[in-house]
Amino acid sequence: MPRKYVITLCDGPTCIHKRSKELETAIETELARHELSGRVNINLSGCLGMCAKGPVMAVNPQYTVYGNVTADDIPEIVSSHILKNKPVARLAIDEDHLYNRFFRVFGDVNFFGKQMRIVLRNCGIIDPENIDDYLSVRGYEALAKVLTEMKPADVITQVKVSGLRGRGGAGFPTGIKWELTARQKTDEKFLICNADEGDPGAFMDRSTIEGDPHTVLEGMIIGAYAVGATKGFIYIRAEYPLAIRRLEKAIADARREGFLGENILGSDFSFDIEIRLGAGAFVCGEETALIHSIEGHRGMPRPRPPYPSVQGLFDKPTLINNVETWANIPVIILDGAEWFSSIGTEKSKGTKVFALAGKIKNTGLIEVPMGMTLRSIIYDIGGGIPNNKKFKALQTGGPSGGCLSEDYLDTKIDYESLAAAGSIMGSGGMIVMDEDSCMVNIARFFLEFTQNESCGKCTPCREGTKRMLEILTRITEGKGQEGDIERLERLGNLIKKASLCGLGQSAPNPVLSTIKNFRSEYEDHIKLKKCRAGACTALTGYEITDKCVGCTACKKACPVGAITGNPKGPHLIDQGRCVRCGLCFDTCKFGAIKRS
Amino acid sequence: MTTPLDMIKKKRAEAINRILSKGYLSTKRVYVGMATCEIAAGSKDVMDVFESAIKKEGLTDVYLSQKGCAGRCNLEPTVEVVEEGKIPIKYGKVTREMARQIIDQHLKKGEVIKEWTIK
Repeated sequence: MPRKYVITLCDGPTCIHKRSKELETAIETELARHELSGRVNINLSGCLGMCAKGPVMAVNPQYTVYGNVTADDIPEIVSSHILKNKPVARLAIDEDHLYNRFFRVFGDVNFFGKQMRIVLRNCGIIDPENIDDYLSVRGYEALAKVLTEMKPADVITQVKVSGLRGRGGAGFPTGIKWELTARQKTDEKFLICNADEGDPGAFMDRSTIEGDPHTVLEGMIIGAYAVGATKGFIYIRAEYPLAIRRLEKAIADARREGFLGENILGSDFSFDIEIRLGAGAFVCGEETALIHSIEGHRGMPRPRPPYPSVQGLFDKPTLINNVETWANIPVIILDGAEWFSSIGTEKSKGTKVFALAGKIKNTGLIEVPMGMTLRSIIYDIGGGIPNNKKFKALQTGGPSGGCLSEDYLDTKIDYESLAAAGSIMGSGGMIVMDEDSCMVNIARFFLEFTQNESCGKCTPCREGTKRMLEILTRITEGKGQEGDIERLERLGNLIKKASLCGLGQSAPNPVLSTIKNFRSEYEDHIKLKKCRAGACTALTGYEITDKCVGCTACKKACPVGAITGNPKGPHLIDQGRCVRCGLCFDTCKFGAIKRS
Repeated sequence: MTTPLDMIKKKRAEAINRILSKGYLSTKRVYVGMATCEIAAGSKDVMDVFESAIKKEGLTDVYLSQKGCAGRCNLEPTVEVVEEGKIPIKYGKVTREMARQIIDQHLKKGEVIKEWTIK
């Protein structure tokens, strides 16, 4: 056998339904017969997106994809392709999908193989600062196709058929938003790309722009053609300098090549894009606040309606979508709206990018088809929880989202299922927490963030989040009172109902969802003055037991000199001076320090 | 009349030719991650090592390019070595010293350093 091979079997639901599991056994048997076991890797991928021709398998290198494979075909594939390096032409699928280029490079690694890359299809395989690289992977072909073959109304129909929904978090159907803007009859319309990514720990948009800026531009230009906009803005925070630099270069290159500016690609359609920098206020991710900020006003939301699609930037109809939404557009146009709508669940189509972080082995940026369960994201892609700790909670949607307990691990990723579970899809932050995380403290952390970022325009958000934060803070300090949980629930529900914009309407989510799913932890804090995770310093104490051998390590580690004792003698913590930092606990090699 | 589709096909052909003329079909293509996250993890140093080695040691069969973040945060900086007809090799947590060794062993002698690859 001249070279190494990797066989990737699609493990998506459709292929499983079409008996892909039988193929796995057949391949193993056939490899064993040729004494190739262990020399050819077999891995299971997530949905490869060719469900109509399932079961599907790919053979790398070269990424030859075989469709409608039966167990009877396996001997031919092994003897011809693996042994003689002759791909079996009769079974090969010749579909040049935009996304499968990524798998040619990364498909054999489990972490990547389980994903499906539509938005991030070029991230990690092309040079983002070279427009030639983007052109070589069929870049701007979708734009050319739209300008050559489609009327604006056709483009909108395609986006509607695709089932794409807003990836900024709220999930409004993109096609309908486009149609509403297109319907307005004015002299001027605007288009905005919302790249004001503000959730703590989220970096989906930054990576998309830094890895493949042209795909965002191409999506925007197609959108402008569909709704009749003449001018576009990308609103991005100033703390993303590299993303901004790459966007600037991409815009300049696109202008030079005739993709932006007057008479794009020789047509009578003209459109240009400018960058606007945000100063990093969380509320400016809200569309009306963002529009105010671009206009030069203070970033504050206003009541809707009128929606921006009717009256937006400078009072003109404005189409505003998130980075990830725009990046989906070229794929929908080139690979087809029907194909796109075959990925995902009934109401949520396509894929979603998540920033996987926290207590998980493989942290990273992932893109998975809608409908994948939280469990397979955490355990199959994320590799599970490190250091043999127990999974406790998953936070999705950043400060606007909620914490889900183990009971919800089989929830499918889609807008409705996550909302029903008490969280939200959000823009794609996903933070895994283990047994050492205190849910009350987590809720306090997120609320502190939103409270800080509240713009102060409406009373429920300005005053309500402040009061909620005070209650939460006193609970974590061991001063919680009977009835605090009910007070938090009442206030939280009120803020959700009465706030002006999405920031306030979602700010209580982390608190309400942790009360719903982890109520006993709140009760522990209030009634027993105990934090079971040992994260709330005021409720945690450290004591040295008789296991102490007098090694003096804890004494040296203590930053406030609260530990006394002679070498080889027992040591003691002065509870009055102890600041409960836990350094002694982490330092002790003999397990002689007890946390309570 | 030339349609936008005709124009884009011509532009693509020209772009591909420009990439080929930079030696894309050389035996080995090296991609170094250069997104904010990768740079923070030290990928600029790694890029420097490859750049100067290619220049000083006359590695004519190597095509070097930057790339965006592939998404494997805890293993950054990442470097891929792609050869036609072979499974692309993906190295993780690459340092200056490791880059040096990748040049000496993998690029010059064709020996893959298995312990450093991402599985």
